[in-house]
Amino acid sequence: MSWLLHRIDDRLIHGQVVVAWGQRMNPRRIWVVDDAVAASAWERELLQSLVPDVEVRVVTVTLAAAEWAAERDAAGGAFLLVRDLATARRLVEAGAEPRAFNVGGLHYAPGKDKVNEYVYLDAHDRADARALLARGTALEVQDVPAARPAALQQLDPPSAPE
Amino acid sequence: MARVPALLVMHGDLAAALLRAAEQVYGPVSDVEVLSNQGLSRDALEARIRECVRPWEQGGVVLTDFWGGSCHACGVSATRGRDEVALVTGINLPILLDYLHNRDQFEAGALAERLQKKGQESIRVQRGLP
Repeated sequence: MSWLLHRIDDRLIHGQVVVAWGQRMNPRRIWVVDDAVAASAWERELLQSLVPDVEVRVVTVTLAAAEWAAERDAAGGAFLLVRDLATARRLVEAGAEPRAFNVGGLHYAPGKDKVNEYVYLDAHDRADARALLARGTALEVQDVPAARPAALQQLDPPSAPE
Repeated sequence: MARVPALLVMHGDLAAALLRAAEQVYGPVSDVEVLSNQGLSRDALEARIRECVRPWEQGGVVLTDFWGGSCHACGVSATRGRDEVALVTGINLPILLDYLHNRDQFEAGALAERLQKKGQESIRVQRGLP
């Protein structure tokens, strides 16, 4: 099992990923799964430059889903990063089978409600979260390894049926 | 020569604290802005940096805490195509003080080169003094 971490984080590659998770788990590869970033050579090069010692693969959701099992069975260790719950959902619906996504950073934007200091959700996010949970994919809120993980549905209970 | 303005972009309260510390050594400082990444998405942080550097037609320096962090990454994105704006990562107090002492004597690119050199020279190990 090469996958070490699947993370939802709107900063993609940044300090917490590189320093806190990266130095603890030493990934050999970081997959950034994002259709927009994958389409921009400039953005791809920027992300690769942030971690010169690690192979960064910036790929579309379709490609990541197709290669997810091969990475699972490969040698070494790998992180997978997506920027939002919608991308995580699309990845799982396209065939990837992570046990869980670490919810590491969904920062404030207008129209989003606060769940904790680094997680804010709107109705679309909640629908994507419910879809992932319904497929059996756990959502674990935790910014850094030293923090205690909490299930997203505990921090943000689904509203009761009307 | 025009003064080179600076923007400090760092984690937590570091930028504000570093500037306060520099003021204790240097005296009151103007033309330096501070920004924390706290609570900001990548897009929001990039937009804030872009806003700060927009008026820098004569150039300026963006000073960030460490390579690979969001402050650095967003600094790179926000200054894309701005050849007159230089980015320096790994900022410490000696670098900030050197910036303050030299920002009226250099243009942004040459100042950034100087800050890199000064920062590297500022780190020393001492041990075993009798």
